[in-house]
Amino acid sequence: MDYVGYTEQELSVTLDKKTGIDISMEPVAKELNEVTISSKANNITSAQMGMDKLDIKDINMIPVLFGERDVLKTIQLLPGVQSVGDGNSGFYVRGGAADQNLILLDEAVVYNPSHLLGFFSTFNSDAIKDVTLYKGTAPAQYGGRLSSVLDVKMNDGDDQNYHVSGGIGLIASKLDVEGPIEKDDGSFLITARRTYADVFLKLSNDTTLKKSSLYFYDLNAKLNYKLSKKDHLYLSGYSGQDDLGLGGLFGLNYGNETGTLRWNHIINDKLFSNTSLIYSDYNYNINVNAAGISANIHSEIRDWNLKEELELFASPTNSLRFGFNSIYHTIEPGNITGSGITNSTQPDNHSWENAVYIDDNWKASSRLNIDYGIRVSAFSVLGGANLYDLNPDGTIKDTLHYGSGQIVQTYFIPEPRASASYTLNDVSSLKLGYARNSQYLHLISNSTTTNPTDKWVGSNNIIKPEISDQVSLGYFRSLKNDDYEFSVESYYKYMQNQIDYKDGANVLDNTPLEPKLLFGDGRAYGLEFSFKKKVGKFTGWVSYTLSRSELQIQGINNDDWYASRQDHTHNLSVVGIYRLNKKWTLSSDFVFYTGGAVTFPSGKYEVNGYPVFLYTERDGYRMPAYNRLDLSATKQLKKHKHYSSELVYSLYNAYGRENPYIITFQQDPNDANKTQAVQYSLFRWVPSISYNFKF
Amino acid sequence: MKTSNIIYIALLLFAFSACKKVIQVNLNSSAPHYVVQGNVTNQPGPYLVTITKSVNFDQDNVFPTVSGAVVVITDNTAGVADTLKETTPGNYYTSILTGTPGHKYQLYINAANNIFTTTCIMPVPVTLDSLYTQLSSFGGNTYQLVPVYTDPVAFGNYYHFAEVKNDTLTDNISIRNDALINGQVIKQPLGGGLQQGDSVALYLECIDSAMYQYYYSLEQTENQNSATPANPISNLSGGALGYFSVHTLSSKSIIVP
Repeated sequence: MDYVGYTEQELSVTLDKKTGIDISMEPVAKELNEVTISSKANNITSAQMGMDKLDIKDINMIPVLFGERDVLKTIQLLPGVQSVGDGNSGFYVRGGAADQNLILLDEAVVYNPSHLLGFFSTFNSDAIKDVTLYKGTAPAQYGGRLSSVLDVKMNDGDDQNYHVSGGIGLIASKLDVEGPIEKDDGSFLITARRTYADVFLKLSNDTTLKKSSLYFYDLNAKLNYKLSKKDHLYLSGYSGQDDLGLGGLFGLNYGNETGTLRWNHIINDKLFSNTSLIYSDYNYNINVNAAGISANIHSEIRDWNLKEELELFASPTNSLRFGFNSIYHTIEPGNITGSGITNSTQPDNHSWENAVYIDDNWKASSRLNIDYGIRVSAFSVLGGANLYDLNPDGTIKDTLHYGSGQIVQTYFIPEPRASASYTLNDVSSLKLGYARNSQYLHLISNSTTTNPTDKWVGSNNIIKPEISDQVSLGYFRSLKNDDYEFSVESYYKYMQNQIDYKDGANVLDNTPLEPKLLFGDGRAYGLEFSFKKKVGKFTGWVSYTLSRSELQIQGINNDDWYASRQDHTHNLSVVGIYRLNKKWTLSSDFVFYTGGAVTFPSGKYEVNGYPVFLYTERDGYRMPAYNRLDLSATKQLKKHKHYSSELVYSLYNAYGRENPYIITFQQDPNDANKTQAVQYSLFRWVPSISYNFKF
Repeated sequence: MKTSNIIYIALLLFAFSACKKVIQVNLNSSAPHYVVQGNVTNQPGPYLVTITKSVNFDQDNVFPTVSGAVVVITDNTAGVADTLKETTPGNYYTSILTGTPGHKYQLYINAANNIFTTTCIMPVPVTLDSLYTQLSSFGGNTYQLVPVYTDPVAFGNYYHFAEVKNDTLTDNISIRNDALINGQVIKQPLGGGLQQGDSVALYLECIDSAMYQYYYSLEQTENQNSATPANPISNLSGGALGYFSVHTLSSKSIIVP
C-alpha cells in the first residue's frame, strides 16, 4: 500500500480492489494527465495542510538548466520553498535551513541529495513516480527534520509490457528498462544516468586538466512481486557517485547508497501492515597525492532502519495509522590515513533513534475533518566516541569516556500534531494546523551552497536536539468547477537549539566540533499564496510567498535577532505549460525573489602591507534581488507503433539576467589605493537540447 | 583549499557563460578599530610594534597611525621590561630586548586608555635546511618553492612561511602544523606562481598555536568563501584587530633557475 501522501480518493479505490493498488493507480495517473497538482477535491476537504504533490509528468514539462529534469529544482517553484542559489538543487522550506529537510527515496534518507556541488539532484526523473512535499506539517509517521519532508517514490515498473526508454542530453544520458517479472504479479525497473562533462576536459590544452575527472552517475532499481493475494514485496535501491579529480593530485568522490525492502501485508479487510527494512549511506573520500605523501580523508554516515506501520480502517469516519521505527546511526567523523603521514582517526559515533506514533483521521462531521496524532521520539547517544565537557567560554574542560554500546544519554521528545479542515461550502474550506518536529542529526556547514564535505553530527551532551513548533492557518478554494484552485496559507514557526559556527572556526579538520559551535533559537513566519490552473490546453500556477526568517544565536550580533540566510522577503514563481497541438508543448517559468541576507565588510585595515576587510555584523546585508525566465519547447516526433520519441529545446535564463552568485571584495587592480566589490554570475542564456525515446 | 581548486574547475566548466563585473555596494560605515601588528623574533632587535586604525571601505587605503600609546614588552622569563619608543608615527621600537626561544613575552599597550595585552612563548627554532624550486604540480608552466626542514620529534609545531618575492612581501598565507607529519623531513612544496628569474627570500617562522589560528582565520577572511566571513581570531585581548607574534626565523634565498 502506497502509504505516503495518499489521498482519500486513492484510498477508496484501493479498498475496493484490496491488493490491486498499482493497477488502480494507473487510471488515476491517466486522469491526472492534464492536471498540475493532484486532485483538488481532496485539497478542500482533507485536513492536510502545507502539502504539495507533484506528478513526474508535470515535472518533465518544466524548463530546466542544461535540459536535466530535476525534481528538486521543480519544488523550488512551489510556495514557501526557496532555492539555495542559482542553478542549485538545494532548497529551504519556510525559512528553515537546507539540512532541515527530510529527503526520502522509497523511505530511505538521502543525506546528500545533490551532484556536482549542488547543480544537479540525485533524483533521476526517469526513475521517479511522484514527489510529495510537506512543509513542516507532515503526519506523525514522519519525523527527524524540522522544516519539511520530501517523499520521493520510485516507479514500480510496468507489470504488463517491457519498455526501454532513454534520453541523450547536453550533460547526461540515461537509460531505463522496465517490464513484468510475471504479468500482473510483479515488475522491475532499472534506470541509469551518467554525465559526460569530463569529455570536455579532455579537449583542454592544459595537461593537468586533461587528466582530470568530473562526472557522476546514478543507478536506480526496483522490484515488486505479489507473493499472494495478501502479500506484496518491494525491493528498491539507489546508488550514485560523484568523481572529481585533478590529474591524480587531488580527488574528491562522494555518493549515496540506499536500499529498501518493504513487505505489504493485508491482515484483514480493515487492517494493513507495512514492514520495511531500510539502509542509507553517504560517504566522501578526499585523496591527496603530492611530494611523496598520500593521504585519504574518509567520512561516512550509515543508517539501518526498521519500520513497522499498521493502518486500521476502524470505522467509516475513523482511520488510524500507528507504528514505530528504530534507526541505528553510525557516523565516521573524518578519518585521515595514508602513507608518509601520521594517521588521525577518531572512533565512530553511534546513536539510536526510535519513535512510536499514532495518528487518527477523523471525519467528525460532514464539514469537519480532523487529523490528529502524536509521535514520541527518543534519541540515545551511545558510548565509544569521545564526548566533551566544556568551560563557559567554550573550551574543552574534560574529555568524557563511555564504553562502546553504553547509553550515555537519551532525549525523549513528544511531538503532537493536529490539523483540521472545516468545509465552508462545496468549493472552499478553512484549515488550521499545529505540528511539533524534532531533529537529532545536524549538518554542520559553513559554505555558501551545498558542499559534499559538510558534516552530519548527532545530538549529544552538548549539541541538543532541534525542536520546532509550527502553527498554520489556511483558506482553500476551488473555482470554475475545479478548473482553478486558490489557496492562502500562513504559518508561524519557532525553532529551538539552532546551531551555528563560531567566527573563524576551522571546519575541515577532525578535531572536536563542540568548541566551534554556537547555539540559539530561530523563528520564521510568512504568507503563501497559490493559484493553479489544472485543466485545459494551458495549465500552470502562480505562487507568491511573503516571509521572514530570523535567528538569535548566543555570541552572534550581540545576541540580537538577525535575518538568516534563508530570509527572502518576496518570492514569486510563475509556471505556464501550453499544449499548442499534438506535436508541440511550450512551457515557461519565471522566478523572482528578494536576495538573501549576507555578510559584507563594513571597513578595512592593513595587515602586513595588504588590506584586510573588517566585519562588524553577521548577515547584515542583502544580496541583490534575483529574477530569471526560462523557456522550453517539446516536440513530439512521429509516433510509431512501438516507438516514440521527442526533442526538448530549452533556454535557461532567457533574457540573460546577471544574477549574482557571489559578491566578493578585493583590492582594485588598477588603483592600489582603492578597494572594490566584484559580482560573479553563473548562468546566462544556457541553451540545451535533449532527445528522449521510448520503445 | 585543495578541494576548492577542484570546485573552482567544476564551477568554470559549468559556468561557461559565467561573468564577473565590478559593482557598487552601499556598505555601512564602521567606527575605527585599533589594529596592532607586533613581532619578536630570535634574530637581533630592535623589534617593531605598529598601531593603526581601520577606515571605511570606500575610503582610500590610507590607514591612520596611532601615536602616543604606551607600549611595553616584558620578557617574563628573563625579567626584562622594555618600553618601546615611537620613532615614527605609529611605529614603536624596542631598545634592549633580545628574543630567546622558550622565553615568555608579554605585550601591554595603552592607547588612549584602550588596553590591549597578550602573553606568548617563543617556540623552539627549526632550521630551513634547503630551498629549491620545481615545476608547479598545478601546471601552467610556473614554478613552486620547496622548503626542506626537519620537524622536531615532539608534536605541536606550527609554521608560517613569509615569502619575499622580488623585494616585496607577498600576500600568500602559508601555514602548516605537524598533526599529520610529525617528526619527518618535510619537502612539501608551497603554492606555485613563480617565473624564471624571480628572486625569492623565504622565511620559515615557528609560531605558536594562537598565531596559527590567527593566520588560518586570516586566510578564511581573505578567501571570503565561507557563508559567514568574519574577522580573524586575534591573540590580543581588549578588542584590537591584528596580532602579536613571537616566533623564530630561519631563511634562505633563491633565484628561480
